[in-house]
Amino acid sequence: MAATVQIIEKNGAGGTGTDKTSGTVRFKNADNATVDTSNPMVKPVSGTDYSFEKWLRMNVTGGTYTSISNVKAYSDGSSGMGTGVGVYAKAVTTYATPAEATSTTGYTSLFTYTSGSTLTLGAGPYSSTGEKGDHLVLMMTVADTASGGVTASETLTIAWDEI
Amino acid sequence: MVHEITTDANGNRHGSDGAVTVSLLSAAGSMFKRRAIKAAGTEQAQEVCWLVAELNGVRVYQNGSAVIVTTEDMYP
Repeated sequence: MAATVQIIEKNGAGGTGTDKTSGTVRFKNADNATVDTSNPMVKPVSGTDYSFEKWLRMNVTGGTYTSISNVKAYSDGSSGMGTGVGVYAKAVTTYATPAEATSTTGYTSLFTYTSGSTLTLGAGPYSSTGEKGDHLVLMMTVADTASGGVTASETLTIAWDEI
Repeated sequence: MVHEITTDANGNRHGSDGAVTVSLLSAAGSMFKRRAIKAAGTEQAQEVCWLVAELNGVRVYQNGSAVIVTTEDMYP
């Protein structure tokens, strides 16, 4: 048997979770999990446009397992989003209402985290159901050097050890 | 496919994906599943499960018909 695991996006003051395991996480200038064209990222005339934070977390909804440990996040190491578009990441234990980022301070480029150099989201061990490990907080930057239009999607991997 | 890990009466551990079984014939060492959701947050998301057996710092990673023996800590 195995744990049943989701990746959820959390929004609002209460941290309402939306299953995003196989659903799009769209960076935007608002705090919601809706995949639409409202509140889009805007290429600025000068400087940088920062998205609202995306708070993601592992959520065990069921299944049978003994323990989960060593929760990690990483990218493929290469951004396909084009010039002037960045995605930044950090691990945070305690949830806070997603806010619009104002700088990259405290973050590291998501694309520096790879299968050979991962971002740790918790050592564990964890058991039972519910949210496990730290939150993965992501945000996007769009600089004035970016091209307009829709960017390509990027991939994120969440990994863990389980017995 | 997520592996199943069982322990026999002698403390040996056996991990199977239904087609391939890896046995760790020692009460020492460890056996666990290294699971991942790749492309999470996209419609292309897929689950991956590697079986990992470790003894004296050497790890065996099994995924389908691929088997890797290494001392490295590897992720899907």
